[in-house]
Amino acid sequence: MRFRTLENGRLNLCLLWAVASIAFWVQPAAGQATVVIRGARVYPISGPPIEHGVLVVANGKIMAVGEEGKVKIPRGATVEEAAGKVVMPGIVDSHSHIGIIANPLAEDSGDANEGTGPIEPGLRALDAIDPADPNIRMATAGGVTTANIMPGSGNVMGGQTAYVKLRGNTIEQMLIPGTIGGMKMANGENPKHYGAKDKAPMTRMEEAALARGIYEKATQYKAKWDAYNKAVAAADKTAKQPDRDPDLEPVVEVLEGKRVVHNHTHRADDIMTAIRLSDEFHYRLVVQHGTESCLVVDELVKRHIPVSFTIVDSLGGKFETMNLDLGCPGMLERAGIRVALNTDDPITSSRLIIREAALAVRGGMSEEAALKGLTIYPAEMLDLGNRIGTLEPGKDADFIVLSGPPFSVYTHVLETWIEGQKVFDRSNPQDLRYATGGFDVANRFPASPRGGN
Amino acid sequence: MRLFRCFNLLMCVGMCVAFATTLLAQNIAVLADHLYTMADGTQGAAGMVLVRDGKIEAVRNGPGQQAPDGYTALKAAFVTPGLIDADTTAGISGAYNIPADQDEDEATDPNTADVRTLDSFNPHERLLKVLNQYGVTTVQSAPGPRNPIAGRAGIFKTAGSEPATVEQLALRQESAMVFNLGETPKATYGKKEKAPSTRMKTAEIIRRALSDAKAYEEKWDKWKKDGSDISKQPSRDMKLDALLPVVDGKLPAIFNAYRADDIDTAIRIGSEFHLRYMLASVTEGYLMIDVIRRAGVPCLAGPVMQRFESLQTANATFESPAILKRAGIPIALMTGYETYVPKNRIVLFEAGIAAANGLGMEETLRTVTSSAANILGVDDRVGSLAPGKDADIALFDGDPFEYTSHVLAVLTSGQVSYQRK
Repeated sequence: MRFRTLENGRLNLCLLWAVASIAFWVQPAAGQATVVIRGARVYPISGPPIEHGVLVVANGKIMAVGEEGKVKIPRGATVEEAAGKVVMPGIVDSHSHIGIIANPLAEDSGDANEGTGPIEPGLRALDAIDPADPNIRMATAGGVTTANIMPGSGNVMGGQTAYVKLRGNTIEQMLIPGTIGGMKMANGENPKHYGAKDKAPMTRMEEAALARGIYEKATQYKAKWDAYNKAVAAADKTAKQPDRDPDLEPVVEVLEGKRVVHNHTHRADDIMTAIRLSDEFHYRLVVQHGTESCLVVDELVKRHIPVSFTIVDSLGGKFETMNLDLGCPGMLERAGIRVALNTDDPITSSRLIIREAALAVRGGMSEEAALKGLTIYPAEMLDLGNRIGTLEPGKDADFIVLSGPPFSVYTHVLETWIEGQKVFDRSNPQDLRYATGGFDVANRFPASPRGGN
Repeated sequence: MRLFRCFNLLMCVGMCVAFATTLLAQNIAVLADHLYTMADGTQGAAGMVLVRDGKIEAVRNGPGQQAPDGYTALKAAFVTPGLIDADTTAGISGAYNIPADQDEDEATDPNTADVRTLDSFNPHERLLKVLNQYGVTTVQSAPGPRNPIAGRAGIFKTAGSEPATVEQLALRQESAMVFNLGETPKATYGKKEKAPSTRMKTAEIIRRALSDAKAYEEKWDKWKKDGSDISKQPSRDMKLDALLPVVDGKLPAIFNAYRADDIDTAIRIGSEFHLRYMLASVTEGYLMIDVIRRAGVPCLAGPVMQRFESLQTANATFESPAILKRAGIPIALMTGYETYVPKNRIVLFEAGIAAANGLGMEETLRTVTSSAANILGVDDRVGSLAPGKDADIALFDGDPFEYTSHVLAVLTSGQVSYQRK
């Protein structure tokens, strides 16, 4: 499967090169072709929906967004007619494990949880993400263009998360330039699994103590380096350079506000523990899951802490999700909290990320907040709000084309574009299999009518 | 003191009876802008369903219906029969997901034909209430996926008058014998270095048990024919006893199979022993439609949103129900068994994804109402809104399958088991 993709990729590259050469002769001045999507209902998110909208993109960026007739269509642009369709920004999944928990899940293919130690800040998700994993293509079939791919929740500090665009054959091509990712933390039930091995943590008390321990250590480490750097700046030749510690450096980045902490936390008291730690060490926190966040809404409001909420179809499966309530995202919205709706893929499928937001609407969230919860709010949670999350000139040309109203079950994602390149097209039968499932059928059932290429 | 307690108890019983009687005696008129009876006739037009003593008294078609005197009126945009989940572990696999509330898999013996869902079913399980609130009023609750011969499923309502007993909720105490193929049984026992550790052995265990059941039956028949001499009576075997109605074709078999070749194995065994059987899960069934159609077996398909947790589910597609249905295969939707979150899938949600992926609203509704009732053999009681049937009714404020619609109320056996606040 993977080799096939690579071969196809090479073939596509050749074709692209050939096409590019021709284009060069015809239109020497043009860079990447200008694309115009015309006639759709456009949700810019930064403003009210535009009934008959026009979106102009070139060189991977949004050039113009506006009403039909009021936006100049550049000469030579490729115009795609989209009357009756809906255009909105590419979806940002603020909590995903695509590429790091493999599909299908085999015993040696789960790389999300380094279950050998509860404090692992030196781990980087990017060292375990498989860009060829089919889940990544399935996510684009669901309209996801950017994801925060994280280590799992089995450790108190699980490692560094990766902010990626869903394109490219290497993780380097996927990583968003200029980003360093967040830091994954978890409290509550999951890290307690060490208890069964007679190791710490066995209780929530110890989880918090371990977290405080690493932050205290990093604070001291930072102080040593600050003193050293100050001495060097003052031309003090006697200054002795402290030892480097690659595990503590990313924690220092948390303390310096360069790295946001994405904290898996469900139960109200666990959320308060996460808040208590962030208060004590002055770091930025995103509440991930936040199942009972409605019970501590005032505390979140006071500190402007956003919530990246996960909705599953029924309560239970574990104690900390017993109070799952579809009404919670709407309640948080009304209190003024920014709420993102995430997949936690593979817990829910990235193909259905819009469904996550739609279920929040079912529970009482406004459609406007739910759309923001798929786009600008998660973008802001990843410090990418000035680059993605809305359709505004100058932002990355990440957008999706839908067949109808965003929150109808009967609506499909028709196209997904990342930086001006179409990465998913439902009208292509191969792409369709990533939207509906059965992508491997061609390999196993070449003779089946569903299996042929 | 004891007398006083007795008196208290009597008072309590008396009040309960009185309460139950008033609930039962309540006559309800359900008025719909779009009534889907799923019985013969047009669907989706305006109409009214009259409920009396827990049963459907009458269905009146046409707009402008008025609730008759003495009937409490409930109104909704969409009204459907209570939904049926054709195969789930609800009631025996609890929400907390700890050993204390997990009773779906007796994974100590690959053949547990003698066990019954009935004896694990907790009428007060919280997940049953969740299902009921989404309009799911009937479930076939089946033993889990670990044993090649897992035991007997039952068919239950998801709500009853309090305090409910499993007998009170049961439509069928024993509805089918469950057989599991594929990855799970061999993973369960192979790990313990016990049989089965291969698909071959799983099939052999099932074939041997069915063959033994036939021999057992012949032995008993012969004993009866020879005069039923008590001193020569063959010894009873609980597992073989349980398999007798299966080999006799009196109790249907459910073969849980995901991969295409496992589906084929189910059909091979089913036809060898002339079983009355159906296929469940059928993840790759959409690649086997000719084989399934030729075998003439119905399919319990789903869950539509199943995860790609294993190789056998890697080819799951949202289009599976639509493809099976288009091929003329009778289907009902199921949610199966979940090991983590969500602990129980909601067949209403699973159906929505099927509806949006080729099956359409009305056909999908059939797979969770009348078709499901037909396949499970309970269409005399549930699955459609017609006079004499149980008053299991779901009321919605929009298309039932739309993400943003709400369940307004649910009637189970004529009682309002859920009402949206």
